[in-house]
Formats: sequence, C-alpha cells, structure tokens
Amino acid sequence: MAKPKVAFYWCASCGGCEEAVVDLAENILDVVAAVDIILWPVALDFKYKDIKAMEEGSIAVSFINGAIRTEEQKKMAKLLRKKSGLVVAFGSCASLGGIPALANLTSKKKIFKRSYLKSPTVVNPDGIIPKTKSVIDGYELTLPEFYKTVYKLADVIDVDYYLPGCPPTPELIANAVNAILEGKLPPKGAILSPDKSLCNSCDRNESKPEDVEISEIKRVIDIELDPEKCFLAQGIICMGPATRDGCGASCINGNMPCTGCFGPTDSCKDQGAKMIGTLGAILEGEEEEAIDKVIEGAVDPAGTFYRYGLAASMLGSARKEEEDE
Amino acid sequence: MTNVEKPKIALFLCGCSTNISNLIDLDAIAEWARKREDIDIIEVHSLLCSPDGKEFFKQEIARNKPENVIIAACSPHQHEVTFQDLAAEAGLNIGHIQMVNIREHCAWVTPDKVKATEKAKSLINAAMMRAELAEDIEKQTMIANTDVLIIGGGIAGIEASLIASKAGRKVFIVERDISLGGEIIKTEEIAPNMACAPCLLAPRLSEVRDDPNITVITNAVVTEVLGFLGNFTVKIHKKARYVDDSCIGCDACFEVCPVTVPSEFNLELSTRNAIYTLFPGAVPAMAVIDKDICKHFIDDSCNACIGACPFGSINFDEKDEEIVAEVGAIVIATGFETGDPSVIEEMGYRKIENVYTIREFERLTCSNGPTGSKIKLKNGEEPTSIAVIHCADSLRENGIPYCSGTCCIRAAKVGELARKQIPDVRVINIHNDLVFTGPAANDFYRKQLDGGTEFVKTDHTSIKIYERNDKIAIEGAGILLEVDMVVLSTGVKPAKGTEALAEMLNIDIGKNGFFQSDHELLHATCASVDCIYIAGSAAGPCDVAESVTRAQATVGDAISKLVPGREIELEMMTTVIDEDKCGGCKLCITVCPFKAIEYDAEENISKVIEAICRGCGTCAATCPSGAAKAKYFTDKQIFAEIGGLLNV
Amino acid sequence: MSDFNPKIVAFVCNWCSYAGADKAGALKLNYPANVKLIRVMCSGRVDPQFVMDAYREGADGVMILGCHPGDCHYRTGNVKALKRYKLLKKTLSQFGINDKRLKLDWVAAGEAALFQKVVNDMAETVKELGPLHITGYVEQGGK
Repeated sequence: MAKPKVAFYWCASCGGCEEAVVDLAENILDVVAAVDIILWPVALDFKYKDIKAMEEGSIAVSFINGAIRTEEQKKMAKLLRKKSGLVVAFGSCASLGGIPALANLTSKKKIFKRSYLKSPTVVNPDGIIPKTKSVIDGYELTLPEFYKTVYKLADVIDVDYYLPGCPPTPELIANAVNAILEGKLPPKGAILSPDKSLCNSCDRNESKPEDVEISEIKRVIDIELDPEKCFLAQGIICMGPATRDGCGASCINGNMPCTGCFGPTDSCKDQGAKMIGTLGAILEGEEEEAIDKVIEGAVDPAGTFYRYGLAASMLGSARKEEEDE
Repeated sequence: MTNVEKPKIALFLCGCSTNISNLIDLDAIAEWARKREDIDIIEVHSLLCSPDGKEFFKQEIARNKPENVIIAACSPHQHEVTFQDLAAEAGLNIGHIQMVNIREHCAWVTPDKVKATEKAKSLINAAMMRAELAEDIEKQTMIANTDVLIIGGGIAGIEASLIASKAGRKVFIVERDISLGGEIIKTEEIAPNMACAPCLLAPRLSEVRDDPNITVITNAVVTEVLGFLGNFTVKIHKKARYVDDSCIGCDACFEVCPVTVPSEFNLELSTRNAIYTLFPGAVPAMAVIDKDICKHFIDDSCNACIGACPFGSINFDEKDEEIVAEVGAIVIATGFETGDPSVIEEMGYRKIENVYTIREFERLTCSNGPTGSKIKLKNGEEPTSIAVIHCADSLRENGIPYCSGTCCIRAAKVGELARKQIPDVRVINIHNDLVFTGPAANDFYRKQLDGGTEFVKTDHTSIKIYERNDKIAIEGAGILLEVDMVVLSTGVKPAKGTEALAEMLNIDIGKNGFFQSDHELLHATCASVDCIYIAGSAAGPCDVAESVTRAQATVGDAISKLVPGREIELEMMTTVIDEDKCGGCKLCITVCPFKAIEYDAEENISKVIEAICRGCGTCAATCPSGAAKAKYFTDKQIFAEIGGLLNV
Repeated sequence: MSDFNPKIVAFVCNWCSYAGADKAGALKLNYPANVKLIRVMCSGRVDPQFVMDAYREGADGVMILGCHPGDCHYRTGNVKALKRYKLLKKTLSQFGINDKRLKLDWVAAGEAALFQKVVNDMAETVKELGPLHITGYVEQGGK
C-alpha cells in the first residue's frame, strides 16, 4: 500500500513553523518513514506544475503555515486545498493571522511607503513601488498582488484542523500526525490543543492571589521579573488567562509572560476583546483619573491583546471579502 | 409549517389596549412573522395582561406546547414576572420566555408608525434569534438554618435577641465586654423625656439571662465567619474569666484584691480591682479576673480572692474557649465609639482639670458612677458655671468630618442634669449649628432655654480653651468667658474593629466608616451580603429609639426570610462555571462583588456558590476562557440578540 | 450624509438605565428608531466582545449605560464596565475606529430626560462621523 502523501507549505511566515517540524528531531524519521512528502519548499525541490498535475484529493494532508498576504499564497492554498483530503492550518499565522496580521493595523499604502521609500536603509531615487505588472525594456514583469489585508488561512480556503502556536510544539505536531495516520481525528474544525486556558497548566498559577488587582501595568523592561510569581500579580500583562493551553508554558518557563500565540479557547470569539474584558476588570482604581493613570500603562493595547489574533478578530475579519475580491 | 430542527416558537403580540396598537402596525408584524419559517404560532391580543388575556395566554401555551414564547408587549419590568408565572403554570420553563419591549422602548418613543413598526420587527427578530439558544432555568432552593447570631450586646443586640427568641429562633449574643449593656448602661437619663436607661434595660437583661433560647457569650469576639445566607459557621473566641458561673457578683473578693487600675466602665474617673464586675447587677453577674494585672498570674504572689469567695467560684485554671455557632443570619449590633476630643488640641482635654467629655459628665451624674451621682469639680466643690462645647470634635477636618445628628440633644441635657443638683448653676451651650430634629427634641431645646441654659452661637472651630485665674477660659469668635467646668460634646464614630469585622463578613463599609446598608432607603438595616444585618448605631449614629427600631427591623427581615421547615428560594439567573472549560485562572474570584466564587485547588477550577451569586454576570464578562455562563444572558444569547437586532 | 440614520446598539443595565429608558418611554421622550437597546443585568456584564460584535454586525455606534457610580445594584459592576470601556476605547482607536463611536454613560432609573439626551447626543455624534466601514485594515485617518 502506498504511503500517504503529505505536503508542507509556507505562506506569509517567518520560517519558525518549518523549524518546528525539524524540531521533531529523530521522530521526524518516523514521520518520513510513514509518509511520502510531496511538497516542502523550505527543504526540498518540487515544482508547482507537479502538484497541479496531481489528482484531486490525492494528497492525504497539507500542512500550511503562514498568513495569506499575497495573491500567490492564496493561489497555492487553493491548489493544495483542491488536491488534499485534509488541510491543517499550521501555526499561529495560518490559524489566526499571527504576527504578519499586525500589518492590518496600518494600510498597504503606508507599508509600501515605509518599505520602499522612507526606510533609512532603502535607496530608491526614482521612487519605484512594486506593481503587479511592469514593462521594462519591452518585457512584461509580473508580481503577485499584495493584498490590502492579511488573512488567516480559513479566510481563503476551507480548513479542516488547526495546530496553534508560534510555532506549534513538536509534541502537538507529533500528536496531530499520529492522529491523522491512525485516523483518530476529532470533529472537523477542531483546534488540536487542549481547550483550557494556559493558567490551567501554568506552574505559577498557584502564586496568583484570589484578588489579583493591577495597580500599575508594567512592561518586562520595567522591573526585574520574579521567576516564580504569576506575571499578572507582578503587574505584567500575561495573555495566559485568555490563551489556549498546549504550549507547555515555554515562554513562562523562560521567565517571559505569555503573548497569546495559541489563540483563544473554543468558547471565546475574540481573544483580544476577551482580554480587555478580563484585564479591564482587574485594574485598580474607582475614580476616572486613577483609572486613566493605570490604563496609560497599556501602551499598545491592540498590539498586546491581538498580537497574533488580528486576522481572527471580530473586527479584523469583518466585511473584508469584498475588499480584495 | 413546523420546522423540526428549530424549536417551536410562539409569538404573542399585545396591543396594550391602544397604547401599542395605535402606534405600531401589529397586523403588518403578524404578517411578517407568518412569512417566517421559524415562528409557528402568532397571536395578536388587545390586552394580554387582562384577566381574559392571561387566560388566553396560558391556554395557548398549554394547548400548543411551544418550546419558546416571545411576548411583544410592555417593559419586562411591568409584566415579565406575570408571564413567567403564567407560562410556568402552563408547563413552560421560564428560561424559554422572552419579553420584547415594543411599548416603552419602541411605540412610545417613535412617533413615525412605519419606523416604529420596523423597529418592533427588529426587536422581535432579536428575541427570535435568542430564543433558539434558550436553556432551562431551574428554580433553586436551599434548606436554611434559622438561628441568629448577634454581635454586640448593647440595647440593639439585646432587643434583636429577644425578638428572635420570641419567634422561636435560637440566638447567640457575642459581646466583647464582660457583661451586656453596651453604651446605654453608662448613662441614666435619656433625652428628650429623660427616660431612665437602667429601668429600660434591667428587665430586658433579666429576660435575656433567663431565656433558654438565648446563649450569651461575653468576654468574646468573633474570629471567623464562613458560609452564606442560611448557612453561616461562626467561630467565637471566648476568653477565660477565671471565675465560674457559681459567682453571683457580690463584692467580697473586690475588697481583698490588692490591685487597682482605672475603671474603663467609669471612664477612668474611678478605679476597679483585678477581679471586678462592670456594675452591680450586670448580666452575666459573675466577676472576671484581669489576667494582665492579677498578681496570681504575674508572680503567683496572691490568692486572696480564693479565700474571700463564699462560693468557691475562682478557677485560675480556666482556659480560653473556641465556640462554633451554626446560624442562618447574623445581626451586627456593635454600636459606636464616642469621639475623642483630644485630637483637637484647642479643647484642652486631658490637659486642663475639670474639662470633661459629655460621656464623662454623664457618668458623674449616675448613681453607680465615680462620684455617686454628684456633679463635682476635682477639688470636691460644686461648679457654679458649666460651658458645653458643641461639635468639640465634629465637623472638622482633623476630627469627625460629619454631623452625628444625635449629640446636640445630649449636650442640651447638661443644663437639665446640672440644675437638678445645683439650681443656680450657669450653663452656657456654645455651638455653631444646632440640630434638634423632630417636635420632641425641639420641645426639649425650648425647655432648656426656659430653664436658663444659654445658647451662644460662634464658629466652633475658633474656640480655644485654656486655664486662667483658677478658672477655665473659653475664647472664640466674638466670645470670651470663664467657667468652672467644661463639657465637650463629642460626635459618634464607628465602633473599634468595624473594619476588621467588615472584612471578616465580606460586607461594605460606607464613606464615614460605618457598616454600609445594602440600600439606604429600602434595605437600611441589611448589609451588602444577604442575611447579614446591621442594627443600632453600627449602621450610623442614631438615638435609642432608632437603635431599637433598627434592631427590630433586622430580626423581622431575618425571621421572615428564614422560616423553619421552609426552603429558601435562591436567585435563579445566576452564573455557572463550566468545569470542563475553566482553566482555574481565579480572575472571576477577583471581580466577583459578592465573593460568590471559590477556588478548588484540587481540581484547579473555580466554582460559583449559587446561594451567594446574584447574577450580575461580571464574572462572565471577565472569564477569559468563556467558562462562566450567565444564565438567561449567555454570551451566545447576547451575540444572537446583537445579530438579530441589526440584521432583520 | 443628512439622510444617514446611524444604527446604534445600547447595552443597558437592568436596574438603572433600562428603567430610565422605560421612563423615557412613559414620558414619550422620542429618540431615533435606530437606537436599539439590549438588556443586561449589569453594565459589568458587557463583554468587550459584545461591542466588537455589534460593530461587526453593522452598528455605527455602541453605548454602554449603567447605574451611577456608587449606585450599582451589584456594588461595583459599573466601575468594572468603566475600566473595560477605557481600555476598549484605546484599542478601538488603534483599529482606526473613532473612539466616539463607543460611549459609556450613567443613567439612573428616574433620569428619563437624561436617557433621551445621551442617546440623542450619541446619535448626533455618530451621524457626524458617518457610517462605520470596517475593512479589516486601518484606513487612512480612520473613521
């Protein structure tokens, strides 16, 4: 019997998810032995036309990481969808938009201006800005369209499962692969990570008092971080309470607060809004002035509460189909 | 027409006579509703809350058995309970009933009939969306303990205990002092009608003593309170007396005791021994040994009381006791503390002889007081002139900032008491504001004017008191006079330990430091936690009459809520935490205004104590994992409502 | 833009503001039909997700109305609402949504005229801002 075909693909991503696959270490050999990798641009050379020529549904599973920023990424995602039995959104960017989706807080125009005209390291005396079609010396050159909005994978194709994390942990990847190989998958649409908040497995939860009130929001650069104590109890915004468990609390074990890469639990629609509801309620202060002073400490709320979740947020994902279509 | 996948919905449109039907096109709405696949029953009625309408409503539900009912009518504040009850009678769970306010929030505020009709549709649509997510809400009841614990054994606590006992409840009174009586026992005559305080109190004290339902625990403090309405567990620390209950309070041992210290009861104007009672005839009668000063305890050098006691009541081996009381309600009757005028330097208190507080002056006039009721100067002579300074420590930034409202009448009493003994005495009451509320108090003021008390107005913050020519000089804006004696009228402060007790009971303290009522007007004697009550001046300064009335009110509420053999009904629309979803982050505990959530460390989840939860839903808005669900106002229902309102 | 009638969703607490709106009704104090109320038991129940969802579903403005500070039926739910609101406003600005599109105010049960005033003021404010157009990215200047 032929081994199941597996594809790995990357869209708007940093490459960390690819690293995570490599981080399977010796277990990767078991994976390689069990499956037939037919696409993995970061590691192996395959051609677009080969994939295009495959039969529909002939790929058992495609793991796609990265957000969707360009026309090319969308095209590849659609192609893989057509050829695959299962599509797994791999990592925070594919699941939620991730770090690239922070670009949704600004506009394409501003990004191009900054990147191609204003950035101090750019020399561009003619003020050239990339276009989808340019004619140079009689030749037409094309580039994929750079969308106005960063999308999560599910905005452009149907996604079967989600593996959250920036990047997903080797354990979660191995579990997902095993579940697929053994056909023991949860219902479609599931996020392959425990549906509880990170506090549930965090060693520091015990040190969190039952009346954790924040009198001053501090940043990690402001204080010497206690290596044992709950970050919220130290006045540091930790997204752990509003973030899904499953990462093994690796940031916290490295004495850094959770930044929320696993996204919300199933019962929350919008991780950032939820965290505003949570944090807002535990800030100290009764009078407006005192409250304003505490909130001053939240210097970049959108970037803090929606660091990974903008493309999956209620507003970030609203009414955008009409924009690029 | 019935859609099997969606719950069967019945829509009742009420015309509210013409209140709605004239302003909204109900027929158009009915027509619109009939076109929808998700509404199965549509009824228009001219007045659904009329006897005829109610009957119709009930029968329709009983007959059609819809899974959800929407009533587009008036405000739920008008008739939600009416229709909930009717539907429940017809067999429908109240979680499946929704009122849509098309009267107050639509018909009456939208003059354009077309627009009002459109708005009504969107409101109904929102309810439709919501209805699809409706869940049963179960009535919750609980068996309750009906006994009462009273903290404080003053006039309020005594009154409360007697009433509760008469209603058949077991009562525990916990008193910090060594016997009952509180503040009122330190005075003898109460203005305005100069009622005799001991006469009021003595029969009540005996009644308490002899009542088998009442357990008096003196020389004791509450150290821990756990639980909630109907189910409090209270820990009480009772200090050893070293004298057992065979003691009758005779003074045989006092005479032989070699130790004397200033008497707290007589405000340090006289002394007491290491073994003592507050006053003869106290309840309980038995004496107590002050361990800190008794020579037996200090160096084992004295056993004189043992020899003197005719009843063999002395027991040096007695130990402190931990008592646990299980009760359903707690009445706080911890009273007040009189202000200390030494915080206002200009008053000369404790620096100048013959400057007394009103409380001390009252002690001087009492038959069991330090001078045997004689008003005397320190040199033993009668004063020829007395000045009474109103607001000696009140209405000042560095003293009591508020007006206690009860001190003016007490200050005006000085003339009445002094003239009884010294008819020619000159009494001058120096005041800024004067507060005599009500006809009786006002009559008392007139009587004092007629009797010869002079009332002189000046800025009370300008007053300075100093010694001059063997007399006491009082200087203030526009006044300068010399007298033999000064009485400082002080305000009323929260009792010592109020904050600690509030924390223990998890109740609020108001801005002036007294226990905060749950509602100033409607629940003035209820604390902010159900079945915890505030009697007497623990809730704020008040006179004896009000103190007693408040005590009666507390018990009235408690015994009507907690009835033996009857389960108490709890708030139905509480919040529950789904333990499969809860991450145990404890943040709901931080935000709960009623401490209705507890953390289960073993399971690492938080749990709502539904008996305490009042259903505000603040925890649901806080819960970062979406595990807390506010019944009838779930996230899903509200999202559905939002969508339904905006997208008809 | 004069014929633009902004859609406004107001989350109102059961005890004070809902009752204030009832009283406004009883006194026939008109306000635009596009102002629609959602009852919650306490302003502290208002999850910022509800506000976001209202915008997504097409609201041009959102209001949160509760009991005056000190009058909360549940002690401090309204203060929690206030804190969330301030944090939320700051976030909305970053999203390019003019923070005037969110308004928290206190309306007591008896304050019918105040209820009418706050909702009318809000309707006027949002009318001036124009329709909310959410695009998934922040437009120039923001609406």
